[in-house]
Amino acid sequence: MLKPVVLPKNAFKLFFQSLKGLGTVYAPVKVSEKSYSFKEVHSPEEIAFEALRTILPPKKFFYPQEETLIRYKNGDFEEVQPEKKFQVIFGVHPCDLASLGILDTIFSSEPADSHYLKRREQSLLVGLSCMPDKHCFCNAMNADTAGSAYDLFLTDTGEEYFIEIRSAKGVELIKSLAEKVSDANPENHEAYKEFWKKREAAFSHGLETENLRSLLDLEWENQIWDEMGKRCLSCGNCTPVCPTCYCFDLVDIAGLNAKEGERVRQWDSCQFVGFAQVNGDFNFRATPADRLKFWYRHKLHGFDDAYGFKTCVGCGRCTESCPAGIDDIVQVVKILQGKKENKHYEP
Amino acid sequence: MLSSQGTVPRIAVESLTGCAGELLVILENLDKLLPYVRVVSFPFAQSQNDSGAVDITFLEGSVSNPHDLEKLKRIRAKSRWLVAVGNCAVWGCVQKSACSHCKVEDMLKAVYGQDSKIEVLPSTSLDEHVKVDVKLSGCPINATQFLSVTANLLQDHLPYITHKPVCLECKLKENPCVLIEDNLPCLGPVTAAGCGALCPSVGAACYGCWGPSQDAQMDAMAVILQEKGYAIDEVLNRLQSFGAPAKLFERMKFEVKNERV
Repeated sequence: MLKPVVLPKNAFKLFFQSLKGLGTVYAPVKVSEKSYSFKEVHSPEEIAFEALRTILPPKKFFYPQEETLIRYKNGDFEEVQPEKKFQVIFGVHPCDLASLGILDTIFSSEPADSHYLKRREQSLLVGLSCMPDKHCFCNAMNADTAGSAYDLFLTDTGEEYFIEIRSAKGVELIKSLAEKVSDANPENHEAYKEFWKKREAAFSHGLETENLRSLLDLEWENQIWDEMGKRCLSCGNCTPVCPTCYCFDLVDIAGLNAKEGERVRQWDSCQFVGFAQVNGDFNFRATPADRLKFWYRHKLHGFDDAYGFKTCVGCGRCTESCPAGIDDIVQVVKILQGKKENKHYEP
Repeated sequence: MLSSQGTVPRIAVESLTGCAGELLVILENLDKLLPYVRVVSFPFAQSQNDSGAVDITFLEGSVSNPHDLEKLKRIRAKSRWLVAVGNCAVWGCVQKSACSHCKVEDMLKAVYGQDSKIEVLPSTSLDEHVKVDVKLSGCPINATQFLSVTANLLQDHLPYITHKPVCLECKLKENPCVLIEDNLPCLGPVTAAGCGALCPSVGAACYGCWGPSQDAQMDAMAVILQEKGYAIDEVLNRLQSFGAPAKLFERMKFEVKNERV
């Protein structure tokens, strides 16, 4: 890691031009009164710097919602390779960077997902600091610092961006801006520390996660699951918006002449009744409560043994995207811990 | 698939009581089918029709009069695969919903006068009368799904049609949620996808025209819409507009709560 540098905000336009020189730039854009989405941007004016969470997380750039994996014709098949296209994702917050670190581990475990890895290779990730709102709890999930899955990370210290450089790609970019950036001086370091102190103090969730591992096992029969299950729509919104959910469905689309066709993968959700349905009309998770409980456990405990980390990064997207209001992970954990009375989910 | 005559597969496209929406989708895509099938009957689109046996019949519309029922039985008898296309054929659509609210005789009199000689039946879906091999809902059907179903049947495979909710397609398109952000009475969570989340994509609420998704949670949907201030009558009307079967509403026993975590 190189020494951090400082970029004055009035030189951001040049920084942006350098990013654009590398490939297509994507950044959060305002798409409605309350929602943001990572979209292609052509100038800094289009970027919503204030965006906290986007509807879909940045996983979509490496693991798209839908993609053709294989095309077959006359008994032969060819693997469809991801498009050769360099992409720059700007404005990725710490929780989302942490989620990409998690997905990197999962997708590179054998058998590795070559499509994901290829897209990761041909991309540059530029992180950006943020101030938490009431749904943020990344600091309780060890996901509040930039982690490793980034090339550059910008901390907004007021007049400047304090830039941490992580990769060779990041170094190249900063070198190209040599005249505009300067090495961070002690004053800049102080401003950086001040920002992160202020940010830490801004969290309001009050969540303690030390006993999550045993909690999810011990409270497997807690009545809250059935109570929440009754409110659950099984709409599946919690999973596409989750930055670490990666389950998919494979569909073969046959051509009419029976000689050609393609195999497509599309994001799926464990919240759909068909997800765990197997031959003989047997279903491992037949009710909304079964599926919801499974998802909570998967996010908060499921990966502890296999990987030694939790897959929830505390971004708050599920809480914001649940029409039934039952994906408030912070409140549910507090109820399971006995720290909060459960008077809201009773039927 | 070879037809019973050992030649090109024979298909028919027929209708009962419906709006011809599915017929139009099929007509628009007919050029893709023509190299592989012989269209022996399609009264909506051609004047020369053969009533003989066929390999596949695509049938739209609900059974709404004795003539429909007779025709359905005739079609079933001559078809190797019977494919119900569109909400009317699969679920019964708005006409079935109307028949659950009032007597069909009263509607007949109100519309055609006291002395009407028109014969009617309470509207029903096809599977209430005959065995239906494939159910492809839609309002109208999705052309890609239609072609995929046909491709499978031509290979003697029963097609796999998913009934995941509209919310999935909506989220994959990354639309802002109109149910959450705008408090619109969107039925995306309980409605079968396939339309590409057409209404929410333009900021409107889904009104459920494709019929229910698999395992639609009607009770939870009703609770959530009531919490948003919609009256239960209004909510039930909306949920039942497109022929969703009564058994999906059996669990509805919730008290309304406004308090949320």
